[in-house]
Amino acid sequence: MSSQPTGGSRVSLKDVKKAFGSNVVLQGIDLEIPAGQFVSIVGKSGCGKSTLLRLMIGLDSVTSGALDAPALKEQAARIVFQEPRLLPWASVKDNVAVGLGEGQSGQAADKQAAEILEEVGLKGREGLWPSQLSGGMRQRVALARALVSQPTLLALDEPLGALDALTRIDMQALLEGVWQDLGFTALMVTHDVGEAVALGDRVILIDHGQVVLDLPVDLPRPRKRGTPEFAALEGQILDKLFGDDPRAREAH
Amino acid sequence: MAATASEGPFSRALPWLVPLALIILWQVSSSLGWLPPNILPAPTAVLEAAWTKLQDGSLIDNLGVSFARAMSGLIIGGAIGFSLGLLNGLSKTGEMLLDPTLQMIRNIPHLALIPLVIIWFGIGESARLFLVALGVFFPIYLNTLHGVRNVDPQLIEMGRIYGMNNRTLFLKVILPGALPSIFVGLRFALGVMWLTLIVAETIAANSGIGHMAMAAREFMQTDIVVLSIVIYAILGKLADSATRALERKFLAWNPAYAKV
Ligand SMILES: Nc1ncnc2c1ncn2[C@@H]1O[C@H](COP(=O)(O)OP(=O)(O)O)[C@@H](O)[C@H]1O
Ligand SMILES: [Mg+2]
Repeated sequence: MSSQPTGGSRVSLKDVKKAFGSNVVLQGIDLEIPAGQFVSIVGKSGCGKSTLLRLMIGLDSVTSGALDAPALKEQAARIVFQEPRLLPWASVKDNVAVGLGEGQSGQAADKQAAEILEEVGLKGREGLWPSQLSGGMRQRVALARALVSQPTLLALDEPLGALDALTRIDMQALLEGVWQDLGFTALMVTHDVGEAVALGDRVILIDHGQVVLDLPVDLPRPRKRGTPEFAALEGQILDKLFGDDPRAREAH
Repeated sequence: MAATASEGPFSRALPWLVPLALIILWQVSSSLGWLPPNILPAPTAVLEAAWTKLQDGSLIDNLGVSFARAMSGLIIGGAIGFSLGLLNGLSKTGEMLLDPTLQMIRNIPHLALIPLVIIWFGIGESARLFLVALGVFFPIYLNTLHGVRNVDPQLIEMGRIYGMNNRTLFLKVILPGALPSIFVGLRFALGVMWLTLIVAETIAANSGIGHMAMAAREFMQTDIVVLSIVIYAILGKLADSATRALERKFLAWNPAYAKV
């Protein structure tokens, strides 16, 4: 692939609290995320996952505690949402160019856009409208837009949540490949425990605004889902998620 | 289904069948004397009238006058409506200050103002311009406002996250996002524009297509009256086609407009 590795940057949170008015969403968060790590974040809906992501990439500020992330000072943090949020009236290439920021155009910008599009497997689609792409391809454009400025920290908020099961498997492999090529630090929220284990160097479980599990995943990549080790990790996370409620586990 | 129906010369001719039949019926009725010319002249008589008026130059003159009036009214009213629509769509203060008043005035049919307008401006050019501009203003204003307000907030957030300044955000996100709605407003405005112009030229004017029709009425020249009506119809159709062409060009990204 044609893009050069960009490397990652670390994030550290010390006793971080976030409240909206009197609603305390996160508290007592202590996390050390080394540069280049792939962190999966799981938790029930409304537990504060998106809020945590937004804090870590500087879209929101902490209520108390300390957050240290060099990427924020260097404006090298980006985010991909569940919806691709592409400009429907801009071509694939122009959408990616949005990621380069103000006043970036011309040949150098075109070259960067072309390289990152090749990296996400969209070579030759530069001139299409978003409406001409499948859901998976749109999300690849969104990924390319986030990566074109060579961020060292990439947040992904349920990036594959809107895709069908087959496309998801494809996109998980793509995401892993791009991350391995470029080396940025990845923070991915997902509601799919299997996905969290398949991609994360580490899975963090949030419950009621606190980190209740921080589980390293030491399996060789690319990971096979069927293995006992994989299943054991999944089981550990699900146990913690649903406690002793067997029906809820069954449903998952 | 739509794809198969739009193919083949037969399907393409289909929409023209009924109008053609009506014209033939009209021509035959006139030729057989069922339709007296002082009620409705034959299509051929209307064509003849068109030819005569073309040759003495008065058709082109009147057409030019009407067209210029329509366009100046559209530009003045449209520009004001567009600007206020943007202003009130982008600024909460502007909206709170102006929108309630405009929504109130909107309920007055602008043609009801004709007597007042004549008192203010007399029956000169400014009266007609005022009426057209006023009529055009509201559809453009309302649809611009609606378009700006309904731009996907997630896209705006995306633009901010990627560091767009206000100007870029407006040019790359808000304006293109509002454009489909602005075009809807333009279509409405064109309809109002011709209608207003017809009324204004018919009531008081010494040139223009409406005046041509009213002058012909005094001499019972029904062929010229019908010619004027046909010309208004053609002008309306042309304006509509021009808008469609603009839509196809500027909204090509939108699957709803991309089709030829
Ligand atoms: N901007 C905000 N203002 C007020 N409350 C918010 C805001 N963002 C999130 N919240 C609240 O924070 C809680 C966690 O939200 P979120 O982080 O989106 O959860 P998750 O992504 O885990 O589903 C919710 O109760 C939500 O209502
Ligand atoms: Mg969320």
